[in-house]
Amino acid sequence: MPIDLDKFKPAYEKWVEESLPDFRAGNMTEIVKKYPFISPDDIPWTAYAGQPSDQTFALVTSGGLYLKDSQPPFDTESIHGDTSFREIPKTVRQRDIGIAHAHYDHSLAEQDINIVFPIQRFVELEDEGIIGKLADTHYSFSYVNDVVSLVTETVPEFISRIKAAGIDVLFLVPV
Amino acid sequence: MGLIQRMAEEAGVWTISMGNAADRMAHIKPPRAMLVKFARGSMLGEPGNVKRQRRIILDALAALQTMTEPGTIQELPYRWKQPDPE
Repeated sequence: MPIDLDKFKPAYEKWVEESLPDFRAGNMTEIVKKYPFISPDDIPWTAYAGQPSDQTFALVTSGGLYLKDSQPPFDTESIHGDTSFREIPKTVRQRDIGIAHAHYDHSLAEQDINIVFPIQRFVELEDEGIIGKLADTHYSFSYVNDVVSLVTETVPEFISRIKAAGIDVLFLVPV
Repeated sequence: MGLIQRMAEEAGVWTISMGNAADRMAHIKPPRAMLVKFARGSMLGEPGNVKRQRRIILDALAALQTMTEPGTIQELPYRWKQPDPE
């Protein structure tokens, strides 16, 4: 396990209990201040080799993006956040994308999704041969506090999908 | 997001992320990251600034090849609504 969940879990449960009134009242500064942020000692590392022009890239955002016509929005009500993710196709257009994330101002991203999910720029770089291949599928997460479910359930599933898709490099844009 | 990046890198996928909060990044320790001075929700700068978005991604591609120390964070010089440096 890359992080100490045994230590995090009780601290998180206590945080949920104590922060619920502030969360419901929208006092985000207060609850962020008290959140038991994980601070690992180590840094995972896979030494880079080769050239971007020979490799397959995928994008990951935590901007809360989903396909308006075919996917459910993320849960924006729960204090735990929403640990699921949505698959966004490479061919997506701005008008296909909805944003479900209650804790950042997404008005600018609604004008130009590339500032949180630079899909059009990556398509151009693929066309120019600067990157080898842009994956057919990309990924959006949203607001998450429940790191236990994220780390034990969602991320392993996410990693098995990117491995199956032959992804060499992930470009990650948090919000 | 930092945890997702860390777990992907651990699984053998190269990762590079963006960030705007040096203190948060120091806690979560991403394998490779670029630090910008933009607000949440606009990590790649102003909407419609195609040239800047492209530059930031090219910076990331270069960083993949030049960062050799785990946990390297490169600060990018771009400023909101100001011209990019040459």
